[in-house]
Amino acid sequence: MANVIVNRVKEFLKKYPPFSFLSESLLESVASKVELRYYAKEEYLFHAGDSAKKYFFVVKEGAVALTEDQQGKQIPVEYCDEGDVFGVRSLLGRRSYVLDALAREDSLVYAIPVEIFDKVLSENNRVSQYFAAGFASGQIVVKTDLSQAEFTSTRFQEDIEDTGLTIFSGQSDITYSSDVVSCLEHETAEDAAGQMSRANVGSIVVVDKKGFPRGIVTDKDLRNKVVAASQSPGVPVSEIMSSPVLTMTKEDDFATLYLAMIRNRVHHLVLTEDGTDQSSITGIISDHDLLLSQGNSPAVIINTLINSKSIEELRRLRDQADHLLTYYLENEVSMSFVTGIISEINDIIIQKAVELARSRIDPGYPDIRDTECCFLSLGSEGREEQLLRTDLDNALVYEDVADDQKEQADEYFQALAKEVIDLLVSCGFKPCPAKMMASNPRWCQPLSAWKKYFKEWITTPDKKALLHAAIFFDFRPVYGHSTLAEELSRHVHDLIDRHELFLNFFAGNALLNSPPLGFFRNLLVEKSGNQKDKFDIKLRAMMPLVDAARLLILSHGIADLTNTRKRFEKLAEIEPGHAELFTEAARAYDIFMRFRTLEGLRADSSGRYIDPDSLGKIERQLLKNAFYPINEIQKIIRVRFQLDLLGM
Amino acid sequence: MDWFNFLTGQKARQSSFVVDYIRRFENKKADSDEPVSRCSFVALDTETTGLEVKRDYIVSYGSVAIRSYAIKVNRARQLYLHPKKESTKEAIKVHEIINAKDTLSLRSFVKLFLGDIGHAVLVGHNIGFDIAMLEKAARPFGLKKIRNHRLDTYDLAVRLELGKHTDYSLINKKDYQLDALCRRYHIPLDDRHTAAGDAFLTAQLFLKLLKIAEKRGITTLGSLLS
Repeated sequence: MANVIVNRVKEFLKKYPPFSFLSESLLESVASKVELRYYAKEEYLFHAGDSAKKYFFVVKEGAVALTEDQQGKQIPVEYCDEGDVFGVRSLLGRRSYVLDALAREDSLVYAIPVEIFDKVLSENNRVSQYFAAGFASGQIVVKTDLSQAEFTSTRFQEDIEDTGLTIFSGQSDITYSSDVVSCLEHETAEDAAGQMSRANVGSIVVVDKKGFPRGIVTDKDLRNKVVAASQSPGVPVSEIMSSPVLTMTKEDDFATLYLAMIRNRVHHLVLTEDGTDQSSITGIISDHDLLLSQGNSPAVIINTLINSKSIEELRRLRDQADHLLTYYLENEVSMSFVTGIISEINDIIIQKAVELARSRIDPGYPDIRDTECCFLSLGSEGREEQLLRTDLDNALVYEDVADDQKEQADEYFQALAKEVIDLLVSCGFKPCPAKMMASNPRWCQPLSAWKKYFKEWITTPDKKALLHAAIFFDFRPVYGHSTLAEELSRHVHDLIDRHELFLNFFAGNALLNSPPLGFFRNLLVEKSGNQKDKFDIKLRAMMPLVDAARLLILSHGIADLTNTRKRFEKLAEIEPGHAELFTEAARAYDIFMRFRTLEGLRADSSGRYIDPDSLGKIERQLLKNAFYPINEIQKIIRVRFQLDLLGM
Repeated sequence: MDWFNFLTGQKARQSSFVVDYIRRFENKKADSDEPVSRCSFVALDTETTGLEVKRDYIVSYGSVAIRSYAIKVNRARQLYLHPKKESTKEAIKVHEIINAKDTLSLRSFVKLFLGDIGHAVLVGHNIGFDIAMLEKAARPFGLKKIRNHRLDTYDLAVRLELGKHTDYSLINKKDYQLDALCRRYHIPLDDRHTAAGDAFLTAQLFLKLLKIAEKRGITTLGSLLS
């Protein structure tokens, strides 16, 4: 008979990984072997150097700090609270502990015998992965392999119901027009064209007196069979229509509809009551509508974007890209692929917006409109890391013009930039509150002015200059003459080369945001009744990595690589001694980006503020592990740029 | 000849497991200087058909061992006895035991129980009643007295909170019931009114009290029991 006590232990353990991966019976055999220990506040569970005990620990209640001796001071490395696993050295075959474990509160702690768990490790793949990936606390000697962590977190997830990436994904929201423009067989091509024009549609259905479809006339028919064939506009539509018309019902699914179109080489389907041409019309659908409904195919979105002509459609497509994004993130598709796709989509939208803006503005400036220019994305978009449509950060650079054209160029490009930003805002992007946008005259300048800006920032690195440098150094050409951007990059590179001290100041700036141990301290504070705080993942986790990557890559004289992951990958290449750390940092960044984006999509926000309580155990541990490289990299920066000597 | 046999005229022969149990105490030296950290404890609880030792009897028994400030879940017991007669309705209501499977005969129960406790210090909440019921259960097998040291978490809590020389008559008993103490010491009230559940709660309470006692310099068994 199940023992109430064992059962109680089991019920507790099964809430937390790795125990949550065990079968009921295996968990029961583990639970029946544990001990429950009580440590009073300030009592040590073990010390660094102690030989590892024959059990490891899980906090049942209270809080335990793992601390490291640094020049006689006990520096907390990690905080463990309810459900945290720690002191696993013996499980990993190590002889002694490397950290001290101190009860920060009165704590009840389960001690799990290593003996029983060895068996579990050998039999349960997920549990051994859990330990291999370093999810358990206090394993700082076993380097956390975040790539495995990322992989592991996929495996740990419950199976997600497949929302369908495949092209024939069953029923989705197929939009079709139920308001069908139609005409009778004897009406003329001219009448039909008039109707189509008024309704702003590309096709018209020809019906008989009963209202049943007889044929269809499209723009193409009018072009090919009337205008190009020199037919009289008075020709009856029955002579130019495509007939018979392909009919289906609105209940048919995507695959049926799409296959019918492909097999019959037609671009339109008429929907009728019973699916034959002997019943009345209920709607009309084009292959374009159909493909749009399959928003979860990136190729479809990108292709439709390229051919899109209206800003409303751009916005709709960008909204669809968010669904795609959610799907990718939840299914742990690699971040480099996700950021690649979304940046491509964003870039196309920006390009489209510039093209649209030019078509409106250019006619007014015949003399100046051929001046070379380049639209730059800055900040996260410049780094190809903007997954959510957060603030727009961009700028415009154009070639220097003759003095007598300056005023006109200024006017033209400002008008253009303003139009572009307006269009992008209509696409759902948010304007930058600090006005770091091309529509701000300051950031819409000829090349010479830009060179002056950069020179100023680099030669007099005050607080504001450093802030600007952080944003503007991550520029990336999106539209126009990228040679302008390249010249700017060379300029920045030369300047940094000649003003080495700038990097020391820039390094000080990169360390402004300290690594987020506080995330876990907050959890403790909160328990003792203080106000609970959300965690700013952008400021505390992402910015430190972004800043570090930028600083270090610039210090190696590379000014044209903006993506944080690519910067770290490059750094790993340049500095083999730190390759492992940089690779970890790149992965950590991916993890933060995934968290932030998912939170943003979930809460329809910038995703910056994460409520630690909303995170599952695994997620918290994943974050905790991802924080680790930040601290290490900041240590390197501090030494390399002699910040202690400079008093920064 | 002991009093029970003398009064009833019955000859309760000592069963072999009772003989073994008693023998364990024969060569045991005085242990009042024994550090608490090295003592064995068994926290226990019984569920009974009622509160009359004479009339009622044990339905289930739960216990868990404690040593070195650790509750040994691998030494947790949960035993059910053959019901002699219909439980009273009230008892069923409280304990929700109606048809316990895997029940033991009284003999098997006493044998297991005595083997389990050895000479550990027995810990319980209002343990006097539990001991009385257990002694009643063991009597037919020739054991008239349970010889283990015993420690009442009720008394320990009162002593640590109010001092050793407090006037018991002035204590608000409600504040020292197991439920109230668990709440005060932040122990979740799981599985109440099962013998094993209450034994586990008592064990957790005992651990917490023991730490407080330790801070007050109560570190030997002698000082803990005095």
